[in-house]
Amino acid sequence: MAVSKEELLKRLSDGVLEMEEDDVVEAAKEYLEAGYPAFDGIMEGLVDGMNRASELYEAEEYFVTDVLLCSDAMYVGLDVLRPHLPEVSSDAKVKGVIGVVEGDTHDIGKNLVKIMMETAGFEMIDLGRDVELQKFVDVAKEEKVDLVCMSTLMTTTMGGMETVIHLLEEAGIRDQVKVMIGGGPISQKFADKIGADAYTTNAVEAVKCAKKMLNIA
Amino acid sequence: MAEVIIRQTGQRIVCEDGANLLETLLGAGIFVDNPCNGKGKCGKCKVKVEGETLLSCLTEVHGRMEVETLHKERKHKVLTKGYLPEFEKDAYDGGYGIVIDIGTTTVVTGLIDLQTGKELANASMINAQKHFGLDVLTRITYEYEHPETGIQELQEAIVNSINGMLREVCDEAGVAKEEICEIDVAANCTMMHMLLGVDARSIGRSPYKPEFLEAKMLKAKEIGIEAGDDTVLYCLPQVSAYIGADIVAGAYVCEMQKEKGNVLFIDIGTNGEIVLASDGRLMCCSCAAGPALEGMNISAGMRAAEGAIEDVKITEHGVEVVTIGDQNPVGICGSGILAVVKELLRTGLVKKNGAFIKKEKLKEEDYRYPMIRLNGTKREFILHKEANLFVTQGDVRQVQLAKGAILSGFVALLNKAGISMDDLDKVMIAGQFGAHLPADSLVGTGILPEAVKDKLVYVGNSSKTGAYMTLMSKKVKREVEELAAKMDYMELAETDNYERVFTESMIFPAF
Repeated sequence: MAVSKEELLKRLSDGVLEMEEDDVVEAAKEYLEAGYPAFDGIMEGLVDGMNRASELYEAEEYFVTDVLLCSDAMYVGLDVLRPHLPEVSSDAKVKGVIGVVEGDTHDIGKNLVKIMMETAGFEMIDLGRDVELQKFVDVAKEEKVDLVCMSTLMTTTMGGMETVIHLLEEAGIRDQVKVMIGGGPISQKFADKIGADAYTTNAVEAVKCAKKMLNIA
Repeated sequence: MAEVIIRQTGQRIVCEDGANLLETLLGAGIFVDNPCNGKGKCGKCKVKVEGETLLSCLTEVHGRMEVETLHKERKHKVLTKGYLPEFEKDAYDGGYGIVIDIGTTTVVTGLIDLQTGKELANASMINAQKHFGLDVLTRITYEYEHPETGIQELQEAIVNSINGMLREVCDEAGVAKEEICEIDVAANCTMMHMLLGVDARSIGRSPYKPEFLEAKMLKAKEIGIEAGDDTVLYCLPQVSAYIGADIVAGAYVCEMQKEKGNVLFIDIGTNGEIVLASDGRLMCCSCAAGPALEGMNISAGMRAAEGAIEDVKITEHGVEVVTIGDQNPVGICGSGILAVVKELLRTGLVKKNGAFIKKEKLKEEDYRYPMIRLNGTKREFILHKEANLFVTQGDVRQVQLAKGAILSGFVALLNKAGISMDDLDKVMIAGQFGAHLPADSLVGTGILPEAVKDKLVYVGNSSKTGAYMTLMSKKVKREVEELAAKMDYMELAETDNYERVFTESMIFPAF
């Protein structure tokens, strides 16, 4: 007898939460074989598991690295389900550009924010680490993004964030984007000083804050 | 009358019947380590009496007692608290030398009689650059923010400190500072740049490229050091921005250049520096452990000072703490926070993923039940109720991050060399901080894996020892420079799969 959709969705969600990549792949394949829609599998299975992981992260039950492992499981599931999604234009999604500013190579925090934003439905363009400052602006302009997200772990490089804000002004697109910043040495005070729109202390907060600023439910 | 016979040497010591064994041994000039000074607490003064291991400070001498001491006093122990290998010293007719270890936090100086090689006096102080920031990055940021004056201000701060210490050691030994022939300095790369007045800004940003790496020899007066007109300043060579002369010195002291087997050297601090010698090949890396292991970023954290909790035991009867100076507890220092995390793991109060166990999962009659409290929804461990000291989930996470960073560096080097933990012959623990971390804590928290527990060797301040060796021998200078050139630096963040290695290294050991 065929396994119910609910049961498979739960296996997808649990697999992500429990960081079991093999279980997720297996459940995703069974889910497709049973003929259920890929979109629901992603949203109600994989993303649901990731949301549960972020709740545990907020409750201090899970840590950065746990969430990274959960996301590994989510991404292997996505690789299975995504080819079966119906074609939709990606314009519907809210876009953001994200990266670690020039001079810094610490990117675990940035990766976590990217994962959480993607899970929440944002389309994130990841520039990686040690990103040339002008590149944030160029990509923001070309891709018509709504968010510019920057991170750094070092006091020596945080000044680069202010430069990016100036460059956005020079390019005449400062008021078309929201600038979000984060990382070890960053504070609300620093964000106010350089004129960033938001500072958050962790990835879950970043998602909430982005949604709030862009009036997304 | 009673007597003690030292088994190894046959030496006889006569004493009163009922005399304290530790005092008797120390009185006869026999080395017994006793950090707690006979309080029966530190467990370091163990000796073997008739085959039984006892704390000498708690033992009385009656009749004829045969005693086997367990630790040999290191040669030149007066020089540094550290290991010093045998080496051939140059012949000097006279004169004096100075050795300096500049740490980001503390600076240590010793005055050496060049003819005998003996340390005549030493001094240490907090690095006066602390006004410009506690860690190297903040001080480098100061240079960025004050491009006109920063470099000079930082240089003056450290040079003034050194001049003060030179006066102190010279006064103590009755030596005129003009009689100092040579000053040898080991330091991390940033401190070395700042001492020489060289722009350190490039160290603070990717690609983390320092202005110089090679050993330097110049006249001390050129940078404002007040000694003789011709006093030479020798700065040991460096490998990279985050593997400085202090680590090269340590690797040399540990004779890693001669090692045939697999030996790991690790200096634990805000930055953990690791060197691996594997079949004659030398590799090294540096990992950002953060200041948690020094008691910083911990809610009840403090530096190691009187009243700091330095050891913790969790038993069925409650939580026992040991404080520095036997004072009432006021906070917890680095060795204490490691000890408490080890105990939390051992008793299952913290799971191997680093999360506290849920209080509701414990039965009320469980001895651990009253040790956890809920602060809102967050679980906290009650370390010392009267002193209002708690260990939060965030604190455990800070230790977990530090542990993950250090272990990941360790694993990455082993992977690169293609060897496993079991292949390691020795693990050398260097640095003042490492000296206070017992194997139980290092392995119990998983900073170092169980497989190396019996292979740990503590070498103390090997940075200063290395400077001592270069001071005493031109041949050592040459060999240290050759060693630095041979040490292969690996940038962790750029190694394949680093994030994966780091994530796996975050998992605590299970009991």
